[in-house]
Amino acid sequence: MRVIAILMITTNRLVENLDPRAKIVSFLAIILCIILTPITRYKDFELYFLLILSLTFFSETTVGQIFKRTCVLIPFILAMALFVPFLKEGQVWGYLNVGYWKFAVTYEGAWMFLNVMVKSGLSILLFVLASSTTTFPDFLKGLDMLRAPRLLIMLTSFMYRYIFVLIEEARRLIRARDMRYFGRRYKEQFLVVGYMVGGLFIRTFERAERIYSAMVLRGFSGEIPCVKRFRLSYKDFLFTAAIFILLTGIVSGLIYKIGCIKIPDARVWIGL
Amino acid sequence: MDRIIKVHNLNYRYPDGTVGLKDVNFEVVAGETMVIIGANGTGKSTLFMNLMGVLDGTGRIEINGIVLNRSNLKEIRRGMGMVFQSPDDQLFCPTVMDDVSFGPANLGWSSEGIITASQKALLLVGLEGYGARTSYHLSFGEKKRAAIATILSMNPNILLLDEPTSGLDPRSTSKFVNILYTLKAQGKTLLIVTHDIFLAQEVADRVLVFSEEKRPIAVGGYKEILADTELLLKNNLVHQHRHRHDALIHEHEHRHGYLHEH
Ligand SMILES: Nc1ncnc2c1ncn2[C@@H]1O[C@H](COP(=O)(O)OP(=O)(O)OP(=O)(O)O)[C@@H](O)[C@H]1O
Ligand SMILES: [Mg+2]
Repeated sequence: MRVIAILMITTNRLVENLDPRAKIVSFLAIILCIILTPITRYKDFELYFLLILSLTFFSETTVGQIFKRTCVLIPFILAMALFVPFLKEGQVWGYLNVGYWKFAVTYEGAWMFLNVMVKSGLSILLFVLASSTTTFPDFLKGLDMLRAPRLLIMLTSFMYRYIFVLIEEARRLIRARDMRYFGRRYKEQFLVVGYMVGGLFIRTFERAERIYSAMVLRGFSGEIPCVKRFRLSYKDFLFTAAIFILLTGIVSGLIYKIGCIKIPDARVWIGL
Repeated sequence: MDRIIKVHNLNYRYPDGTVGLKDVNFEVVAGETMVIIGANGTGKSTLFMNLMGVLDGTGRIEINGIVLNRSNLKEIRRGMGMVFQSPDDQLFCPTVMDDVSFGPANLGWSSEGIITASQKALLLVGLEGYGARTSYHLSFGEKKRAAIATILSMNPNILLLDEPTSGLDPRSTSKFVNILYTLKAQGKTLLIVTHDIFLAQEVADRVLVFSEEKRPIAVGGYKEILADTELLLKNNLVHQHRHRHDALIHEHEHRHGYLHEH
């Protein structure tokens, strides 16, 4: 019991404390494996699911939180994937009657639907885990240190920095309007909205100019200097190595075989 | 006396035709603190932008004996730092630490040097432990202090501060006055735009008054300028209005920040 407690404490924030580079590389590897696994090897996906779940145990976030956040995103994918079974051509599986219309569902379409749902569901789960254990600036730093294109990172970081300012500004404009608008002359309101959008655009533009001069005044010459603040520790290497070994195990079917042969009871949790 | 900044016949007109500055002439002595006061829209911020070479007016600006032009801008800016009026323009990085270390990193310092300087600057403005915070989530006063830190970390010789204390609470303001005293003791040249006559009285060696004609109308020691009520009255820095002393409400000219006897 004591050992478990100590283990819990030391691993409680493991994922949070990892270097962003280690996280980016290993999470990308997991996602790649998930995407490239054919859907017919459905047992592999159970293992991926377990892998992601076990990762959450090494972080401060709880499984509940992760699922909650995932559920928010799932409907969007469902909305996109819903049409696939009807659109994909192939052997007809059955028909769906809606009023006068008759929609054919194909086998290929159904598989494709399952494919999209399972893979994107798992990816989102992992994405949610990643985003709740890494702050966005750290993530950008990690990308930068992994030699992702600087320009892209700069654009993203500006967007992250100013999207809120912009939203806040828009909200202020709307609030200022609402406080002085009492429901008359509603036709003119379209014009007012036009003014607001225009004003917002000009403000953004002028702000961009001021920000640029603030950068230039502090020596900016087209390249954002990188201050190293992260150092890879043995934990990062261990983590990444462990993930890669597990992935190799899953992809080669080794883990599944071990689960089936050595401990027959493992079916209990494999079927989770 | 070394004149570190010399401005001769500086004129600036905004692209839309608005006059920003008209025939500005003044000089700043090395190591002095010059406070610039003036009503809204009299061209104080425009002057700073010209001094930093962001706006390109006509006339001559000499800094450290070098005439400012396109080719030596970079060199001159290494020794100058400016804090913008709006902190949202100054803080453009995702985190406070990124922002504070941006200047030093561009100056080509070593990693350790950058980090020490940044932490020192944050400590000086009372934001130690804010390094990992997102600038957007800071309060206005915190942003303002972070903006000041981004310049302090570069350790420039000349500092231009555009309304550094607006929006700060009294404690942060007096803390800021402390920082100014430290900088003064280090021999830095400070140019400070402010509407806070109280601040001017605390730190100014000389005061420059900007008038509605978008040029300095008076310059002099802080005592004589701040005592010249007529001048201040004429330039909207002191004005007639009613105010309250417990039960007594009456009207007379009044300097903000002043307590007076009756
Ligand atoms: N981008 C711009 N385009 C056109 N006119 C401008 C622009 N910025 C400022 N002005 C005008 O230039 C004049 C000087 O503006 P400036 O911002 O320098 O004033 P200020 O003394 O800093 O005022 P405040 O105390 O309000 O900050 C004002 O009349 C202003 O309307
Ligand atoms: Mg101004």
